[in-house]
Amino acid sequence: MLMPTQITRHIQLWLIVFGICLMSACSNGEDAAKKLNSNYDVPHPTSPGGTMIDAMTGEPSGLIAMIAGESAASAIAGNIFNSLLKYDKNLDLTGELAQSWEISADQRTITFHLKPNLKWADQRPLSSADVLFTWQKVTDDNTRTPYGSDFKLVSKAEAPDAQTFRVTYAVPYAPALDTWAGLHILPKHLLQDQDINNTAFARHPVGSHYYKLSDWKNGQYLKLSRNPYASQGQANIEHLLSRIIPDKAAQFLELSADNIDSMALNPIQYARIFPSRPDLSNNIGLYKELGNSYSYMGFNLKRKPFDDVRVRQAINYAIDKQEIIDGVLLGLGEPVASPYKPGTRWSNPKLKPYPYDPNKARTLLREAGFADTNGDGILEKDGKPFSFEILTNQNKEREMTAVLIQRRLKEVGIEVNIRVLEWASFLGRFIKPKQFDAVVLGWSLSLDPDQYGIWHSSQQAPGQFNFISYSNPQADKLLEAGRIELNPDKRMKIYHAFSTILLEDSPVIYLSAGYGLSAIHKRVKGISSPAPAAGIGHNTYEWFIPKAYYRNEMNDQ
Amino acid sequence: MASYLLKRILWMVPLLLGISLISFFIMHLAPGDITTSEASFNPKASEESRQKLRALYNLDKPVIVQYGLWVKRLAKLDFGTSFASHQRPVFWQTTDKDGNVTLGMIQEALPITLLINVLSLLLIIGIALPLGVISALKQNQWPDRGITMFVFLGFAIPGFWLALMLMYWTGVQHSWLPISGLESMGHENLTWLAQIWDTLQHLVLPVFISAITGLAGISLFVRNGMLDVLHQDYITTARAKGLNENKIIYGHALRNALLPLITIFGLSIPGLIGGSVIAESIFAIPGMGKLFYDAVLMRDFPVIMGILTIGAILTMLGNLLADVSYAWADPRVRRGVM
Repeated sequence: MLMPTQITRHIQLWLIVFGICLMSACSNGEDAAKKLNSNYDVPHPTSPGGTMIDAMTGEPSGLIAMIAGESAASAIAGNIFNSLLKYDKNLDLTGELAQSWEISADQRTITFHLKPNLKWADQRPLSSADVLFTWQKVTDDNTRTPYGSDFKLVSKAEAPDAQTFRVTYAVPYAPALDTWAGLHILPKHLLQDQDINNTAFARHPVGSHYYKLSDWKNGQYLKLSRNPYASQGQANIEHLLSRIIPDKAAQFLELSADNIDSMALNPIQYARIFPSRPDLSNNIGLYKELGNSYSYMGFNLKRKPFDDVRVRQAINYAIDKQEIIDGVLLGLGEPVASPYKPGTRWSNPKLKPYPYDPNKARTLLREAGFADTNGDGILEKDGKPFSFEILTNQNKEREMTAVLIQRRLKEVGIEVNIRVLEWASFLGRFIKPKQFDAVVLGWSLSLDPDQYGIWHSSQQAPGQFNFISYSNPQADKLLEAGRIELNPDKRMKIYHAFSTILLEDSPVIYLSAGYGLSAIHKRVKGISSPAPAAGIGHNTYEWFIPKAYYRNEMNDQ
Repeated sequence: MASYLLKRILWMVPLLLGISLISFFIMHLAPGDITTSEASFNPKASEESRQKLRALYNLDKPVIVQYGLWVKRLAKLDFGTSFASHQRPVFWQTTDKDGNVTLGMIQEALPITLLINVLSLLLIIGIALPLGVISALKQNQWPDRGITMFVFLGFAIPGFWLALMLMYWTGVQHSWLPISGLESMGHENLTWLAQIWDTLQHLVLPVFISAITGLAGISLFVRNGMLDVLHQDYITTARAKGLNENKIIYGHALRNALLPLITIFGLSIPGLIGGSVIAESIFAIPGMGKLFYDAVLMRDFPVIMGILTIGAILTMLGNLLADVSYAWADPRVRRGVM
């Protein structure tokens, strides 16, 4: 055993060693310089091969997307499975497994013609029987999927021959094509005598798309390799490796150390850290694209005074949206004037967001009967001060947004309190029983314009999505018409009219649509910049990594 | 001794039922279930589909009936399958009729967390024991003050911050250690020795971070225990009869001062299986902390109950082990038990 004095001496020694280490950390900059200072901007010919490593925060629960449901699952499964249709780079529908499709004169029947010689990754033929099987599974009451209702509208589905799949709807259903672009086709021969809810197939999938799953280490990574029998031709990059790193800061360190090739950035990393780190910008390219959702403030239209359109418009004028975009998203977002993605056909280019105009807000509030009678800075009507509560869930961006709104509304004499809640109690105690004044939340900028579930007056029951109780007969009529009109041009006119009414009524205030921000190492070539409407991910199969830039550890592959 | 042990083990059964009943009801007091997560707030997922899912998971039945179903399964040692992870078995692996093995969630996460926690506990003991002894011997002198300051600094520094700083220093500035994860890419192509080396390198930072925060408690415990013992009459007696100082300190004082540590280690056994959410998220380690946290967020009831039950069993076993170790280590207690 050590003598006490010996121990003390040991400790002293270790303290000194520790100090030396610390000092060397401060003085040592050579290691950073050893990192390849190569110029990635020289052109290279397209070449197949290589491995691209990205990071994601969550792990898929399984790779059957209709059951898994979360975004991590869709992201991986989208590389393994095909749908009948897909969205092209301008967000128009085009065939994926289907070569063509036609719609009957009564708009109730859609016939899909599959491409010839389609194969599964196990070389078995892919036919319309597989499509029919997938439809049967998604509509089966024993399948644990929340996405069955769209497909239950099909009154008859049939596969008259191996290349043809035909669905008939009881009434014309315009969002049908969009739903078929979202349904991954599953192989019948592997799943027909399995219970789809707990089959091992969810972790050992066989698909028909560019990649197949070659390795899945739970909690660590998923590795995809090229599928030699891919239905859409061959992708360039040989392996896609997705590492699961829940913490964004840790992802960023891995990116700086050149251990991963891509990650999704938050506004601070994009707008603050990257510009101050020229060493990173030398190796890593930044990309931004319009995201798929917008944030809004929605009113409980059943409560006074929000049933008065002048009050809603006044609040809309009183809120400075650009301030929210600059303050919360660091400028990395856009204002929107309709619930559709700007730049797509459904978004009405004539609509402009409400400008920031506090005087107009004050005028409208006066017209609505509000005045500051007791001089405390808060407006009153019928002796009651105009004070309401904004609810939101635990989400930093939404909390900051609510604070900015609070300040702007105070300037026009409206007192706002903010309450932040955990999601489940937010939903269960306030949204479902409609016990709220206003919420700050987000909706997706859906690719199909049908938003019947969100805005139609019939969708107000507890658990349905028109929880703000919006009801306008004119809007209802347009929403119904848009659902049964399959001609894209006629449909576009319907939704342009609908979003005009929606903007005028102002049942929600559109706050901002944030950009999706990503960082991708410059060794990855072939990325479209600026991003088209569909985002930079529209042509990942064309991306490639020149041989000179392969990672050392991957050379053996 | 044997009948004492048997009695203690039999008592665990009603205790476990009580614990699980309370946990089950508390879990259901929280609003929401698997069908009300933020991701499912999506117009494509209709209310009817959600009701159908609730029925398939038996969530529409009264809580007491759900508890009965859970106990019935547990009686067959079946912890059920996860709601949120495509029905992966909660505890142990299953094999389907085609021979595909699906590993259990706790089965995968537990060894990782145990490894990290046991290593960090060993590190804590290895450092805290000498630190505590030195502090006690040099009470109120500079080594004591320095050590106390050092361990409290470790206790007070936010673990996530220190973790990120160390990751940046050892992983980005210098390529000394891997930044996150458990294995390097291409781990499976290495020889087994290189594989162990690779994993150890990945474990350095997580173990260090979890040890540095635990250092303060144990080292101060040893210090104060030592001080108490050093003022006992029998130490004075030992000194009076001219015993060698080393023998007094290590042969008599330290051994007595370590007795209460048995309780602490007994109580830390459940802590060994509960990983730290923050450290596991930052280091991208798929351990128990992250598993439990995600399960709570998703309201994945079978996983929550599985972890709580296994935690309760281990806590009770830890207490039993501590009591038995006491009897083994301290003759005074032994006479009382047997």
